[in-house]
Amino acid sequence: MFFHIVLERNMQLHPRYFGRNLRENLVSKLMKDVEGTCSGRHGFVVAVTGIENIGKGLIRDGTGFVTFPVKYQCVVFRPFKGEILEAVVTMVNKMGFFAEAGPVQIFVSNHLIPDDMEFQSGDMPNYTTSDGSVKIQKDSEVRLKIIGTRVDATEIFCIGTIKDDFLGVINDPATV
Amino acid sequence: MSVVTDSPVHSSSSDDFVAFLDAELNASSPNSSPENEAENEDELEIVRIKRQKFESIEETEGSTSEGIIIRNLEASAEVDVCTHPGSFGNMCIRCGQKLDGEAGVTFGYIHKGLRLHDEEISRLRNADMKSLLCRKKLYLVLDLDHTLLNSTHLAHLSSEESYLFNQTDSLADVSKGSLFKLEHMHMMTKLRPFVRPFLKEASEMFEMYIYTMGDRPYALEMAKLLDPQGEYFNSKVISRDDGTQKHQKGLDVVLGQESAVLILDDTEHAWTKHKDNLILMERYHFFASSCRQFGFSCKSLAELKSDENETDGALAKILQVLKQVHCIYFDKDQEDLVDRDVRQVLSTVRSEVLSGCVILFSRICHGALPSLQKMAEQMGATCLTEIDSSVTHVVATDVGTEKSRWAVKENKILVHPLWIEAANYFWQKQPEENFIIKKKQ
Repeated sequence: MFFHIVLERNMQLHPRYFGRNLRENLVSKLMKDVEGTCSGRHGFVVAVTGIENIGKGLIRDGTGFVTFPVKYQCVVFRPFKGEILEAVVTMVNKMGFFAEAGPVQIFVSNHLIPDDMEFQSGDMPNYTTSDGSVKIQKDSEVRLKIIGTRVDATEIFCIGTIKDDFLGVINDPATV
Repeated sequence: MSVVTDSPVHSSSSDDFVAFLDAELNASSPNSSPENEAENEDELEIVRIKRQKFESIEETEGSTSEGIIIRNLEASAEVDVCTHPGSFGNMCIRCGQKLDGEAGVTFGYIHKGLRLHDEEISRLRNADMKSLLCRKKLYLVLDLDHTLLNSTHLAHLSSEESYLFNQTDSLADVSKGSLFKLEHMHMMTKLRPFVRPFLKEASEMFEMYIYTMGDRPYALEMAKLLDPQGEYFNSKVISRDDGTQKHQKGLDVVLGQESAVLILDDTEHAWTKHKDNLILMERYHFFASSCRQFGFSCKSLAELKSDENETDGALAKILQVLKQVHCIYFDKDQEDLVDRDVRQVLSTVRSEVLSGCVILFSRICHGALPSLQKMAEQMGATCLTEIDSSVTHVVATDVGTEKSRWAVKENKILVHPLWIEAANYFWQKQPEENFIIKKKQ
């Protein structure tokens, strides 16, 4: 789920950036440092939307760097256990399928795929129902439920299921 | 609703969406904050009740009241007996619980972070086996270096090989070429002649894997050269980063029954645990650096501006062997299909190569004799140690020995030990005229 929150970060700036464009340099460095990173607490930082406050800079002893405490608003994405998400299938194999919802990698094991869907290998491996009406293959969109999440430095891993009601394929790329 | 500073960490189960929502809803009411600590237990209870209500609301949409009870029971039973078939990012793939990550085998080549436990691996192997047998396919594990191609560092090209820089094929349409320069890896790669027809025909009989002792980026680059469409080796490229043991290859990372896997490799000692599945390939030395690596001082194929014969080379011959093994495997009565073992078929085919030959060894050095004898016996020959009238071939390195002279006198065929090795590589009895011992001058 997406959140719009205020985070704080201490930014270190090299003296070469001091001058008229100090604030711009600080903001661009912040964006470069923070956008695309991940943390366990807030999830994935998608974009910085604004700067709330830049505190007084403190010169570090021994170096010429100055540390500014910056409060900024940003959009973060964090999956939760129990959340329902839409994701795009990236890989299908006999163990289940892998899907992506933005920066999050989700794995749905075949234990959590309804029993009437069977794996068909071949050129385009897929899971399909016995009557062929529903098919999950690469680039299909599926609605799944997250049952576990784990965050490391740059990625978020999730385990998902489509075994519950109202979960499964939303959009079949073959019919589009 | 926007969350300002309170992160979900403060709630008792930060992972859970429902708990988080509850925490937020409670936080916004006036009397919750100071009593948070003390009310933790009550909060947990409330959360639990609310979660059950939440779930039962979900269920009343689509099922009868009986269904709800059964589903709740089933749900709790499932959680209790989750066998944790595997893990993705250290979470069980079935129940989402955090796992330690020590059990089972890592399948990083399929997807980063994927790990499967032994029971699940057996279950997958069995399921896959049935589907493969229906499609009449077996598994084939292919080595890269010196088997399907030969690579060298750009800096190791000899002066006589420098003409190759002008002859490399374009990387834009890989399916037409065989010599490629990979700038970003500082390497030049030559694909073995006949490799593309080989892969195409083998893919109809086998599900193929690449297993190399190179690292993963190298393995993936080579897979792109051999299989630009990704139809043969899609997520079946195993590199040394995926193996469970250093310097050894194993079938534990291959999702196929050992009784249905054939291995094509030029290095025997990499497969000590699976020698019976191995078909040994004659090494492909195109570049001088490769010859030197194995101690050969002769000129390389590139220096001689020649190449292995396309239709009559090692790959073509081995393809015939593979076809033969496949044919015999799927030939017998239907009932035996599940119990069949490709290793037995392989040894049967091997034992027909020199069947009927009775071999006498003469003055072969003691180090080489046991392996040579074993090779000959595996190919169906009978090995004797004393002169006997049933002998058909005498294998020696010197025409002057007693047994050699006896062979000439009795019109027995006198050959060099390389005749046995050639038969081993080509799976066919080679014409003995090509292996006559040269007289020492």
